[in-house]
Amino acid sequence: MSPLDISPQRGDAGDGIGGRPPRIDGLAKIRGEAAYAMDQPVEGLAHAVLVTATIAAGWVRGIDRTAAEAAPGVLLVLTPGNTPPLHAASTWTGEAPPTSEYRPLEPEIRHVGQQIALVVAESLEQATEAATLLRVDYEAAPFLADFTVPDAGEGQDLPPLTIERGDADTALASADIRISAEYGTPREYNVPIEPHGLTARWDGDALTLWEPSQWLDGMARNYAEWFGIGFEQVRLISPYIGGGFGSKALALPHGAIAAQAARMLGRPVKLVLTRPQTFTAFGGRAATRQLLELGADADGHLLAIRHRGWQETSRNGLWVEPLNAATALMYEVPHLSSRQRVVPVNTVTPSAKRAPGENPSAFALECAMDELAYALGQDPLALRLRNEPGRDPHSGKLWSSRRMREAYAAGADSFGWARRNPTPGAMRDGPLRLGWGMAAGTYPVRRSAGEAMVRILADGGVEVASSTSDMGTGAYTILAQTAASVFGLPLARVRVTLGDSTLPRAPVSGGSQMAGLMTGAVDKAARAAREELIGLALNDPRSPLRGVANTLAVAEGRLIAPRGEAPPLPIAELLTAIGRDRVEALRDTLAENGLKPEDRYRAFTTVSTMRAPTDGEYSMHSWCAHFVELAVDEALGSVRLRRIVTAFDAGLLYNPRLAESQIKGGIVMGIGQALLEGGIVDRRHARVLNNNLADYLLPTHADIPPIEVISVGEPDPHASALGGKGVGELGIVGLAAAIANAVFHATGKRVRDLPITLADLC
Amino acid sequence: MRDFAYHRATTLEQAGPLAARAESAILAGGTTLLDLAKCDVVRPAEVVDITHLPGLADIRADAESLHLGALVRMAAAMRHVAVRAACPAVAQALALSASAQIRNMATLGGNLLQRTRCAYYRDPASFPACNRRTPGSGCAAAGGVTHHHALLGTSEACIATYPGDLAVALVAVGAVIEIGTRWMPAEDFFLLPGETPHREFALEPGEIVTALCIPASAASRRSAYLKLRDRASYEFASVSVAAGLELAADGTIADVRLALGGVATIPWRLHAVEAALTGRHPTPATLREASLLAMQGATPRPDNRHKLDLAPRLVHRALEQLLQGDAA
Amino acid sequence: MPPTAHAAAPAAAPPAALPQGSPVPNRPITLFINGHDHVVMVEDRTTLLDALRERLHLTGTKKGCDQGQCGACTVHLDGQRVLACLTLARQAEGSAIATIEGLAGADGTLHAVQAAFLAEDAFQCGFCTPGQIMSAVACIREGHAGSEAEIREYMSGNLCRCGAYPHIVAAVQRAAAALPSEASS
Repeated sequence: MSPLDISPQRGDAGDGIGGRPPRIDGLAKIRGEAAYAMDQPVEGLAHAVLVTATIAAGWVRGIDRTAAEAAPGVLLVLTPGNTPPLHAASTWTGEAPPTSEYRPLEPEIRHVGQQIALVVAESLEQATEAATLLRVDYEAAPFLADFTVPDAGEGQDLPPLTIERGDADTALASADIRISAEYGTPREYNVPIEPHGLTARWDGDALTLWEPSQWLDGMARNYAEWFGIGFEQVRLISPYIGGGFGSKALALPHGAIAAQAARMLGRPVKLVLTRPQTFTAFGGRAATRQLLELGADADGHLLAIRHRGWQETSRNGLWVEPLNAATALMYEVPHLSSRQRVVPVNTVTPSAKRAPGENPSAFALECAMDELAYALGQDPLALRLRNEPGRDPHSGKLWSSRRMREAYAAGADSFGWARRNPTPGAMRDGPLRLGWGMAAGTYPVRRSAGEAMVRILADGGVEVASSTSDMGTGAYTILAQTAASVFGLPLARVRVTLGDSTLPRAPVSGGSQMAGLMTGAVDKAARAAREELIGLALNDPRSPLRGVANTLAVAEGRLIAPRGEAPPLPIAELLTAIGRDRVEALRDTLAENGLKPEDRYRAFTTVSTMRAPTDGEYSMHSWCAHFVELAVDEALGSVRLRRIVTAFDAGLLYNPRLAESQIKGGIVMGIGQALLEGGIVDRRHARVLNNNLADYLLPTHADIPPIEVISVGEPDPHASALGGKGVGELGIVGLAAAIANAVFHATGKRVRDLPITLADLC
Repeated sequence: MRDFAYHRATTLEQAGPLAARAESAILAGGTTLLDLAKCDVVRPAEVVDITHLPGLADIRADAESLHLGALVRMAAAMRHVAVRAACPAVAQALALSASAQIRNMATLGGNLLQRTRCAYYRDPASFPACNRRTPGSGCAAAGGVTHHHALLGTSEACIATYPGDLAVALVAVGAVIEIGTRWMPAEDFFLLPGETPHREFALEPGEIVTALCIPASAASRRSAYLKLRDRASYEFASVSVAAGLELAADGTIADVRLALGGVATIPWRLHAVEAALTGRHPTPATLREASLLAMQGATPRPDNRHKLDLAPRLVHRALEQLLQGDAA
Repeated sequence: MPPTAHAAAPAAAPPAALPQGSPVPNRPITLFINGHDHVVMVEDRTTLLDALRERLHLTGTKKGCDQGQCGACTVHLDGQRVLACLTLARQAEGSAIATIEGLAGADGTLHAVQAAFLAEDAFQCGFCTPGQIMSAVACIREGHAGSEAEIREYMSGNLCRCGAYPHIVAAVQRAAAALPSEASS
């Protein structure tokens, strides 16, 4: 079940931090033995199916449950009319709820797909059929289908995102060269292949949840508050997560109603969203629009950027996708004006999808830089180098590290950028026009506190435990490597247990922060355990090393006297000698993050103590440069990628093999964003029509070209304990712009609304 | 899925009457039936599994024709040397369909009978109006999002696109459908929606497609299938074309066969383009002008207008490829 | 599915009492899985996927979409890769079913494709991985692993949202070098 007993091959750079060992959870995954939440065998399970609204706004006047309740095997039918309220929970940012009650089934409808009933039956087949038998009486109300409909208006200003640096309007007016363009991104969905779902079981007042989770502590807190029980009474178990990309960090309404049903029934209940329901039960990336004006002098020095952004949110929730996240950061610009507005419409509240903010921000900015390069008659890469900022132009702080020039150089060199003919349409391969495009990306270093237990066992092996989770990031492996480094052990001697809310605390695995902060926590705990071990070896009366040496080192599972005063002593022998079965240390990194012990609960169960990238002396970010070659069939408009080279600076890579995989994964998702993905809204009904995997197009194998990724990072001691910066989100940032720029280079057509399809290019 | 009873038929004589019952549905590969049952579009009370019927999974070729049993799986037909030789367009259409897994499951007969991907048709809970599903209920697609909807063969009642690839190739090369003891040209097998979009195929209750037959012809032997789509694989056609060509000794076009997919309510034979090419020398100008006739009579919508240009270009490309194949 | 379904009744009416009697909800069938017979209670409408996962607790085979659109439920039926979500359990009676759980040797020796997936880091979250591996085994056997382009096309029925595609292709190439393929007819 857990990857504890796996012996991976030794990596080519060793098993410690910076080595390339294969995933230690890999064997369980390739054997089909890794038990994801929905794979857990639970005795006495009942199966639930969610019923969702088919109107966009209005009220459920009533639901006739008669036929459903009479259907074979049906155990319970929950509707707004027969479901007791829960307690309202505080938000993930730590704010108190505005109301005292939370109703997971509400009569008021605010979007298509909102959950309105739950049917529980003995079998999944029975629940599925019975769910079709409910008769819902609606009272429909007017709605706003999306932010393009005239009635949606301009929305509300978001003052915290306003930036006024210098005088952008005046600077633009006097600029030699100006470009102005509007860029759009559609609703994009996370679409992990594992659908959201859970099994909930009550034992008295204790609630056990098997649910995929990017944030066990945060979700456990939310469930505890909903049900008015203690945090310790909730146990959330999520050893493996079938992808999340931001969508599995929060407790969601379907979780509330499933747990509610389990409590009412006195039986464990399993609810898995259908694939179509995954498009409306939680939000993906908000649709966005950005108006960008860039002004430069004739040499290509940026003088001013004027940026206006609009994004969707829901009628009953505010999600902010910060559209100037990259705009304010990437280039040396004396004058910047940025405003953002948020437009409420009848949709599910949007949420985090890989690189919220940076992703759409970089799409617009990096396309605009390409447009400016053409307006100037300059090479797009040269234009970027000309405007490379020496320090963070927004905060004024020095970069902790910004190896952007190195990334440009390494990427351009490997790609062969110097051979590019800049004239659109000039590079050809038979009937195909080739496009070479590039763009840059960035993602901030976010920091929270972490906590880990490291335990030295009597057999000399080491255990690491934390409630953090591994959704494919490689957490199991890099945390094992961290401990292996401290003890000089082969990876096979390190066991890692994650994904259980009863383990030591961890904050959200989001914002690309997990690896940096959890390796720090494990390193700290491991060093503490090592110190205690050495102390015992030096001081315990039964220790063979007592009085032999003044200091000891630990390597290869042994205690070593530095001047050879005694033969190396295996840890196991020491523990036997001193009569201990373990030496363990539980450590957190609250203090390093400026927190106190009383901040502990808040630090791990909300994001209220997460530190900004400029909190401290430096401005800290990861960086990347993408280079893309594609071919466009001029007559038919089809775009096929040929190769991608991405050079990136994410500081030290704890395990380059796994980090490279994640960067490539971000690139693949960026390919989908650029060419395939987007929610298609029928505005007559405010309904996303392509709510399935045949119509919402994810990239397939055939869409993906060879991808080369090059790390140019060096350890950044300011960014994290071991010198790494964020990896998980970086690869997607700027990729869509590189593709759009390559499409322009191939065709001379500037497509500013994603995705770029046949209809745009034929 | 609603509850149903599963029957495994072992003879055609047994299967027919079972399939003729009012609430029964025939199950072959299952890739359409179970999908639509899960969408609640079809609600059979009985399912008749015909995949164990004997004698319907043969592939035979002789001088006159290529015979494909209706229960031949797509993958088997796609790989078969006789199919590749007799009609490359069919082999290519199959290879470009769905995924390897679905091609292992789906049968040729079932593939012909696949239903439209119209999002409004596939979601009865959200869109009660669908003349194809429920005669007289209206059409939710009209006035909706129609970038995948048909431009050709539409009616007031229905604008849903026929999604298949194989049928397009079969219609182009003049294949014949065997239904038990009767035969019918593939072109007649698919019914225009007209006022009765719920009648999609020329099949009576209980009738089972038993074989597909492709008459041997030079144009079939020299044929190709091109499929255009945004995703590089595993997507239905935005536009597709099946083309077959026979040149006379003098270099003129003796026979040409063309059909379009992805743009019409049924597999769409391009008689006008064929007529404009037959007997002519295949000069670039002739090919281009004839191809422009492909979308004659089309009724575009704002979000599928681009297909007016795409389809003729794809026809042109297919003809060029067949001619280049000759040069090579 | 939501409630207005009745207003949209298709040509076939909802199931009513049949002349030959209502279907029996659960009946035992025998499925031959990974070399062993398993007796399992299923409804006639139970898919092979739900039979494996919910009734036999063979949960290595994953449900990603339940609509034949993602490939996560890929298993082998008589040696052919198929989608368990669009196969009725009863259709699979009498066939040899192979799932990810049966791929490694009885002694635990990994199949060459499994070993290659580990070596190439051909997965991240691991959820699509059993389907990718079952598909890859068949892809190689079918003789469709001749080039990177061919592998990509013939593996395109298996979606991977983590974007492990380049590494999966490398893993298939690595395994193909070690495995025989059937000559295509």
